[in-house]
Amino acid sequence: MRISVSTKYAFHSLRRHARKTILSVIGIGLGCGLCLFMIGLVKGESRMMLKAAAESGNGHLRIVPAEWVQIRQNDLRLDNWRSILQELRSNEQIKRAAPHARKEGLLAFGTRTIGVEVIGVDPTVEQAMNRLVRDLAEGYYLMEGTRGTVVVGREIAQRLNVELDDELLITVADSSGEMSSAMLRIVGIAETGSEELDASICHITISDMVELTALNGAAELTAVVKEPRKLGRTAKALSAALPGDCAVLTWKEIMPELASGVKVDETWTRLTVGIVMIVVLLGIASAQLTAVLERRREFAVLSALGMRKARLIKIMLMEGLVLGVIGGTVGLVIGIPPTYLLATRGIDFSRFYGGSGISVSNILIDSVFQGDFGWWLFPLAFILSLTATILSSLYPAWYASRTDPAVALRVEH
Amino acid sequence: MSSSILVEAKGVTKVYTTGKVEAHALRGVDIEFRVGDFAAIVGPSGSGKTTFLNLVGALDVATDGELRVLGNDISRMTKRQRADLRLNSIGFVFQAYNLVPVLTAQENVEFVLELQGAGEQRSNRAKEVLAQLGLDAYSSRRPNELSGGQQQRVAVARAVAANPKLVLADEPTANLDGENSDILLKMMRDLNEAQGITFIFSTHDPRVVTYARRVVTLVDGRIDNDVTKNSATSSAE
Ligand SMILES: Nc1ncnc2c1ncn2[C@@H]1O[C@H](COP(=O)(O)OP(=O)(O)O)[C@@H](O)[C@H]1O
Ligand SMILES: [Mg+2]
Repeated sequence: MRISVSTKYAFHSLRRHARKTILSVIGIGLGCGLCLFMIGLVKGESRMMLKAAAESGNGHLRIVPAEWVQIRQNDLRLDNWRSILQELRSNEQIKRAAPHARKEGLLAFGTRTIGVEVIGVDPTVEQAMNRLVRDLAEGYYLMEGTRGTVVVGREIAQRLNVELDDELLITVADSSGEMSSAMLRIVGIAETGSEELDASICHITISDMVELTALNGAAELTAVVKEPRKLGRTAKALSAALPGDCAVLTWKEIMPELASGVKVDETWTRLTVGIVMIVVLLGIASAQLTAVLERRREFAVLSALGMRKARLIKIMLMEGLVLGVIGGTVGLVIGIPPTYLLATRGIDFSRFYGGSGISVSNILIDSVFQGDFGWWLFPLAFILSLTATILSSLYPAWYASRTDPAVALRVEH
Repeated sequence: MSSSILVEAKGVTKVYTTGKVEAHALRGVDIEFRVGDFAAIVGPSGSGKTTFLNLVGALDVATDGELRVLGNDISRMTKRQRADLRLNSIGFVFQAYNLVPVLTAQENVEFVLELQGAGEQRSNRAKEVLAQLGLDAYSSRRPNELSGGQQQRVAVARAVAANPKLVLADEPTANLDGENSDILLKMMRDLNEAQGITFIFSTHDPRVVTYARRVVTLVDGRIDNDVTKNSATSSAE
């Protein structure tokens, strides 16, 4: 196929106004690169937050008794939790699933007491699911078949002034409202680096929990999925497959404050990207308009020769298109290195926090922040750049198309 | 034979209004041009030559009067219809050459053919016309690599490439020296004689007037004189 003269005209015009073109391309490239970097940042943040949330024992999904959705009572239990757990584990989208049973209780040692949310866990799967108790500072984690043991956070141990092998008195209100107590031996002390988290960890086995509370079974099943991006679909499929007396919640419903935090950051990024691109757009528009004014006689001649408005607009938009493709490429060249570095090396925030862990609403967050890097950069660079250049060419194109053809015959003396 | 009438003007007037100032560029022009005319429009500066060519070329519309070009009533046409009339039937040559600066001579000629919707043959047609005007060797040059005379010949090639019925030229030699003016006018005459293309051009230059077979004199927006010569040629050599 031969290149049409209109196309050559568009290309050559960009080349003739080389300085304008180069400045425009640099402008688009910088704007685009900056936007890609910011989007990489917030994408990385959302991914990290979600991962941290999922791995802090909350999972991506939670199966709870249907009633819980309304009353959010820790005393509710899933009667058929074993069969649901089976169902979960056989679902190919689910990476891991674990049962939990929660209960508010009071820990006491000597004269000291502390109120906590005690969590009954399945020791065989909990450590793999929960980064808070994966590497303990002292001792070891709960074991299947061992009775009367507890793992607490460092902060709890300090406040109660206890050590490994000390026996804590735990008191809860049982199913009938009666006080029920037991002695638990501390087998492990967890240390996450975050005081907030270390003051909240208190794990016992589910069987101890059942014995203590006389409430049977698990209150919830927590699941980590293989592909967080398909979470919505997985949740829907599960909810259709599971019995009606239980409900499937996603992390957004379990931790709304986290979801809205991420949403706020995403919105800010979108807004910033929008503003940056509008600034770029106005810059190109003004450069294009100046060029159009310079080429007034040229357009008058083309119009005198019989070129239709639509054709001229098309040619001007083609100039925008070419500018956009080059700008997007430059945007990638500028944006890829920092985005890649942010994604691979990341930024280590532990320095700023004096080496302690960072936690947000009971979630332990990695101290090394990592951005996102992927194929999405490529289409996005061109979408941003082409949107900016084509939109910014519209007004100059329309303006050019209005040139009076009679100007062509008039000679400026 | 009325079918051979290309341009027919009756009482054509044109008033330019700039702010409160009115300029009466044409004050009632009655004239006809026929197929095959090779006519010069002469007259002092400001007499309305450019204005008249603008109207005949459907670049602008008259304030009053009737103007028919190739059977079309110009004042009744939309902008787009006028653009199509110019594209398909009228060629233009401008005083300031006005080639598209970023395109080569060949591309400048091809551009018009492409606008007309000509397909693969447009490249050959452009070459052919450029050769006719003695520009074979310059077809891949940009306007800034050509002399004024060469640029104006490219402009003529561009004007005639699409086989228009009518070519309008506003002071085509004003920026050329005597020798180049002669070359250009001879070529225009050849095209007129060989292909029957009608030419109407305005000029100041007495040398150029001698090439014309018909000389229309405009004074102050009115036709002062309209002479058709009997002899076919009378060049100023
Ligand atoms: N666009 C315009 N606006 C206002 N006045 C104009 C315009 N074009 C031409 N005129 C006026 O119309 C008259 C005729 O101009 P023109 O047709 O250019 O004459 P010529 O080409 O013979 O020199 C002049 O008085 C000129 O000032
Ligand atoms: Mg004039």
